[in-house]
Amino acid sequence: MRIENHILDILQLYEYAMAIGKSLDYKESCDLFLKLLLKRKNLNAAWIIEPKDNMLQSTYAIPFGEEINIKKDDEASGFLDTIDFGKIITVNKAISRIAPIPIEEGKMAIFNLDAQGYLFLYSKKNNISNKDLSQLEPVIKKFTINLKACKAFKEQEQLLHNLEMQNQELSDYAHMVSHDLKSPLRSVDTLASWLIEDNKGKLDDHCSAQLGLIRSNVEKMDALINGILDYSTIGKNQIETYKVDLNVLLKDVLNLMEIPSHISIDIAELPTILGDKYRLQQLFQNLISNAVKYNDKPKGLIEIGVEDKKQFWEFYIKDNGKGIDEAYFKKIFKVFEKLENTQDSTGVGLSIVKKIVDLYGGKIWLTSELGVGTTFYFTLKKHNDGTA
Amino acid sequence: MLITTKNTAEIAEAISNHVGKNAALITIGEHTEIDINALISQLNNSDVKFMGGLFPKVIHGNSILDKGIVVNTLNNLDSMFLVKNISTKDYTIPNVVFNKNQDYSLFTYVDGLTSNISHYLSELYENYGMQTNYFGGGAGSLSLEQQPCVFNNDGIFQDAAVFAIMKMSSRIGVRHGWSKIEGPFIVTSAEGNVIKEINWQNPFEVYKEVVEAHSGKTFTDDNFFDIAKGYPFGILKDDAECIVRDPLMVNEKGELICVGELEDNAVVDILNGDKDSLIDAAKSAAEDSVKKASVPRKAILIDCISRILFLEDNFDKELKAITSTLENSFDNISIGGALTLGEISSYGEGFLEFYNKTIVVGLFE
Repeated sequence: MRIENHILDILQLYEYAMAIGKSLDYKESCDLFLKLLLKRKNLNAAWIIEPKDNMLQSTYAIPFGEEINIKKDDEASGFLDTIDFGKIITVNKAISRIAPIPIEEGKMAIFNLDAQGYLFLYSKKNNISNKDLSQLEPVIKKFTINLKACKAFKEQEQLLHNLEMQNQELSDYAHMVSHDLKSPLRSVDTLASWLIEDNKGKLDDHCSAQLGLIRSNVEKMDALINGILDYSTIGKNQIETYKVDLNVLLKDVLNLMEIPSHISIDIAELPTILGDKYRLQQLFQNLISNAVKYNDKPKGLIEIGVEDKKQFWEFYIKDNGKGIDEAYFKKIFKVFEKLENTQDSTGVGLSIVKKIVDLYGGKIWLTSELGVGTTFYFTLKKHNDGTA
Repeated sequence: MLITTKNTAEIAEAISNHVGKNAALITIGEHTEIDINALISQLNNSDVKFMGGLFPKVIHGNSILDKGIVVNTLNNLDSMFLVKNISTKDYTIPNVVFNKNQDYSLFTYVDGLTSNISHYLSELYENYGMQTNYFGGGAGSLSLEQQPCVFNNDGIFQDAAVFAIMKMSSRIGVRHGWSKIEGPFIVTSAEGNVIKEINWQNPFEVYKEVVEAHSGKTFTDDNFFDIAKGYPFGILKDDAECIVRDPLMVNEKGELICVGELEDNAVVDILNGDKDSLIDAAKSAAEDSVKKASVPRKAILIDCISRILFLEDNFDKELKAITSTLENSFDNISIGGALTLGEISSYGEGFLEFYNKTIVVGLFE
C-alpha cells in the first residue's frame, strides 16, 4: 500500500508538471496549473500577489474576487519576507487583507515565487499540509520559471509591436513629408527657370551663378526626397518575386548610368535569381554608382561577381577607389550618413541598399583599405530550386 | 409536483398555481408528449419565470418516469440566466452582487452532450467562487443525439446552459460507490471527452485487457457499452472520492469517448461496482446532505442515467435508500429530480466538478 501511495504521489506530480509550460500566456499558464491543483487537491482558491514598488498587487486569482492593490506595510511584507520557499499558515487577519476573496477560517499554503511574487493556495477545510509543500516544491519551481517566461515573452511581443508601430509611423511620416516637400520644390525650380529664361542676357554673371546654384540645390533636394521616398516604401508593400537574370539586369543598369570613360567595369557570369527587378536594380545601381562616384584613380576598375555558398549567393562589388575608414563601416548604412558632403550625395543610397538586402533576408558588409579600394559584399538567400 | 397531462394550457396553469410568484424549475422526461415551445409560450403568457431541461427520466418521490413533468418552486430567486455557445466558449458569465451575510444556492441545467462543460463550470466558479453552493445536472436524450434540451423564458436551446441563483442555503451530498479494480494509469493524451492514449498506448487495448480479465466477457463490435457501463474510469483526487468518467463508445481508432472531459496526463483507475456498493453510496450521499441540513423544504436528486442502466431493476432500491433516509429525517419533504447525463456539484465546497455515474442529493431550505 505504501509503495502504491508513493507511485500515486509521483504520478500526480507528473500530471502537475506536465500542465506547466504549455502556454506562454500568463493567465492561461496559471489556469492550466492552478485550476488542476484546485481540482485534484480539493482546494477553494488560488492567487498570486506581486510586490511592485511600494504596493502589493494581485496578478492572478481564482475565483476572481476583488483585485488586490494595497500599500505594503510592515505586517504583510514582514510576514511575506519570512517565507523562504513555502509555509502553511492558519488564516489570520493580516493574511485575509491580501486575499481577493473574503476568508475567515481554514488553512493556506504560501509559496515564494522569487521575482514572480507569492502564490497562495487556500483550503477552507484545512486539507493542505506540510507534505503538500514538499510534494509541490519541484513543480512550483517549474511554475515560477514558466511565469518568468510568460512575462519575458509578453515584453518581447510588446517591444516588437512598438517597434512595428514606430517603423510604420516613421515610414508613413517620411512618405507624407516627402510628398509635401516635392510640390513647393517643383515651384521653386520652375520659378528659377522662368527667371533665367525671362531675363536672358539681362542678368549679370553673379546673378546667373546664384540662380544656377538655386536650381542645383533644388535638384539635390529632389534627389534626397526621392531617396527618402524610396527608403520608406521598401518593405512597405508585398514584393512580387519572379525569375530575374542578373546578367541582363546589370546590362540594363549600366545602360541607364553614365559611366565615365576612365572607369571600366568587369562583370562575372551572374546567376538567375528569384526577386523583384525594380528592387534588384536599385540595389546594384546604388552600389555601382557609389563605386563610380568615389573613384579617384586615373584608371578606375569595378569588378562585380558572385560566389555560390550553397544556401545563398554571395555577391561582391569591388572598386579601386578612395577606400573607407573602418570607423565608418557600420555608420554608412544609416540614413543621411555620408562620408563626404558632395553635391550629388544624399546619404540615403546605402541605407536603401541595406533595406533591400534585409528585405530579401540577406546580409551586407564591406572590406576596405584607404587609398586602395572597397569591396561591398551582400548575400541573397537561395530558394529550393537554387534561385535566391 | 408531478404533472402528467399533455395539455400545455393545463400544464402552464398548474405550474403557475404551484409556484405562485416564485420561479419554477421544470424537469421533463424526454418521452413526455408535449409541445415544449407551446408550453414556453403559455408560461410566458402567465408571467411565470422558469428554467428547465429535458432528461432521459424524471424522479418524483419513489417513482422513476419516462414521461412526466416535475415542478419545483425556486424560492427567493435572485437571478436567472441563459448561457449559449458552451462548446465554443463564446460567452460571458453575468456579474452578480452577492450579499456577504446571505447564503446562496446556484442551480444549473446544461446540455449534457455538448463539449467544454468543464470550462462552463470553471467560469461559474471563477466568477462566483465560494459565495454560493452549486448543484445541477446534464440534460439531453438517452439516444445520445444532441438536441435542444435546456429552456427558460427565451426558448429551448442546445449547446447551452440555464442557471438560477437563489437566496437560500442548501446542503449537498455527493457519492458514487465505484471502486478501483486496476490502476493507476496515465491518460497520456486526451482531447475534450476523448481519451486518445493511456500509458502511451492505444486506450481501448489497455482498457479491454483489464475489463475482459475482470468481467470474463469479451468485447465485440456491438457490446461496448453493455460491458463498459460497469467499468468507468476514476480521476484521482487527494482525500476525496475520485471523479468518475463514463466511457460511452469506442471509435475506429480505438479511442474512448466519455461523458465529460479529461485533462492530458490525468491519473485514473479503472473502476467497478456492484449493486450493494452503489446503493450504499446513494444512501451515504443522502446521509451526508441530511447531516448538514436543518429544515429543508425540498430535496432535488440528480442521479446519473447510467446508474439505472447498470442497476436495472435494483435502481428502485437505490432510490428507496435515498428517499427513506430523507423522509426519516424530515417529514413531508418534497422529493423530485432527474436521471441525468452528468452531475454537477463540488466536493467539500471546493472547485466545481462535472461527474458521471454519481448521485448528488441537494436539500434546499
